[in-house]
Amino acid sequence: MPAPPIDARSLTARTVSVTPCGDDGFVLRIRPDVGQAPLRAARFFMLRREDRLSPAIPRPFSIYRQVGEDLEFLIKNMGTGTAALSQCTPGTRLRLIGPLGNGWPALDGEGAPWVMLAGGIGSAPFFMGIEQALAGMDGRKPVQRESITYLYGAARRGLLYDIEAFRRLGVRVEACTDDGSAGFKGNVLQLLEDLWKRGEVPRQVRLLACGPERMLEAVENLARARNLQCWLSLETLMGCGVGICNGCPVPTVESGPMGAWPNAKCCVEGPVFSVDDVTLAGAH
Amino acid sequence: MARLAVHLPPLALRNPILSASGTYGHAAEMQHMADIRAIGGLVSKTVTRLPRHGNPAPRICETEAGFLNSIGLENKGLDYYVRELLPQMAEQDTCVITNIGAERVEDFVELAARLSDEPAVDALEVNLSCPNVQEGKLPFATDARMAARVIEEVKRATKKPIFAKLSPNVSRISEMAIAVEAAGADAITAVNTVLGMQVNWRTGKPGLHTVQGGYSGTAIKPIALRCAWECARSVSIPIIGCGGITTAHDVLEFMVVGCTAVQIGTASFGDPGLVGRLAGEVEALLDSAGIDDVNALIGTLRTPQATPRATRPHEGQQAPCASKT
Repeated sequence: MPAPPIDARSLTARTVSVTPCGDDGFVLRIRPDVGQAPLRAARFFMLRREDRLSPAIPRPFSIYRQVGEDLEFLIKNMGTGTAALSQCTPGTRLRLIGPLGNGWPALDGEGAPWVMLAGGIGSAPFFMGIEQALAGMDGRKPVQRESITYLYGAARRGLLYDIEAFRRLGVRVEACTDDGSAGFKGNVLQLLEDLWKRGEVPRQVRLLACGPERMLEAVENLARARNLQCWLSLETLMGCGVGICNGCPVPTVESGPMGAWPNAKCCVEGPVFSVDDVTLAGAH
Repeated sequence: MARLAVHLPPLALRNPILSASGTYGHAAEMQHMADIRAIGGLVSKTVTRLPRHGNPAPRICETEAGFLNSIGLENKGLDYYVRELLPQMAEQDTCVITNIGAERVEDFVELAARLSDEPAVDALEVNLSCPNVQEGKLPFATDARMAARVIEEVKRATKKPIFAKLSPNVSRISEMAIAVEAAGADAITAVNTVLGMQVNWRTGKPGLHTVQGGYSGTAIKPIALRCAWECARSVSIPIIGCGGITTAHDVLEFMVVGCTAVQIGTASFGDPGLVGRLAGEVEALLDSAGIDDVNALIGTLRTPQATPRATRPHEGQQAPCASKT
């Protein structure tokens, strides 16, 4: 039975700041009462307010940045849980459960270049992902700046959260919007096709993706069709985050390494999965 | 320092705090989140005879004051439980209660018989909310005759003490309590989740794939408290309260209406450390109230007595009515 990570705890924190970001997002900066070791990108915490203003069930949020003792979460205002967090003021007490999940695989500098596909608020796990890839992960060779292409898509300009921060990391950043208000007009898959067609990105790449489910399904289909290595950072409803409630099933690839059981638990076996392991598109 | 030890004969618990089935895994998952030694006992997720893959997503859905689930008893079956999970539970320094579920009486019997010889199992909790596929698919817990039959057969198949977990989705829970007591249950867990549903009016879609599911969390506490009280005054076996319990005050409320122990369920999702802290918080409350033994509170509900002023002559024969209908 997959267990939660051994460093996961139920702990409290205080709000440091809430900074608006984009049309409907914000960066929540908190200081946990217990210091956190350096965290792998794409891991997450379950988060809620300690007062009664949050819903009963905490919400999972990817770590956006780790700054000294503080953790930052890039959050889109979606409903009651995120609205309660957006209304935190400095000092508001929070309950957090984590760090949870596996994080990105080792992004190493050997092999094909990396193309990172982010949709909307799905950009959150990529900021530290790029930083850590450039620094070298798990003792692997660091990834060169020119070997990372970050493709960031959203419905419109105002939903490309904090894109300038990504540009400052020095990797190639290309934006696209459905309405053409910023960057390429179209979605990240169309943008990637366009870059391929123009020969600006090699055909043989490794893919990482995080975004809306329909986008991830399309990325999975692309990876299968072109036989590309691909990892998806998934978001599901989660009750507990620690592998107990069985509320976050993700269909496994029957012929794949996890195929002995039809569901993987997004919280403890993910949230990052190889498309060899799970399928959103119904692959067998 | 108030005494917290309670008895669910023949079990002795160090305190009345148990984890509720399906909300605390098998303890290994939680050992870094809470001090398991500070918990009176752990109740496993429901184990079925054969593996079950569970329901399609969405399986969970939050509402204003609670939580809906329809997991579908996903689990890897009895063999896996005995081989992989039970040893993990056995390592914990606390009581181990295995929750069993089945859709056929004979499957309940097989589960009970197999677990009867497992020394790590201190008690069995029988999940009577499973549908009875042999007769009309209604849950066993909604039919006193069927609930009693399951308990009777399980009792015959095992040497372990049996807790009958009842459903609140019945007209008279006291009838169910009386039936399972007569059938040999050693204790009653009151209650399982309340049936509920959620819908998004814009999309017309239900919150759960199965449309309806089990409602839990603070919203159901008054319902659970009423059910626990009705059970407690109907039978003489101990009652384990369950439903929306989140604070030490909640724990003591359930004890006042007659519970000997309680289970913490959905509250663990919001804070998995809670069950490890509750016993200490209960102790502090008792100390501050000058009560030196938690057992002194059990069943101390003071029901209002009719007074001459309260019954005016022209309303003579009318007893106070708890229902508007």
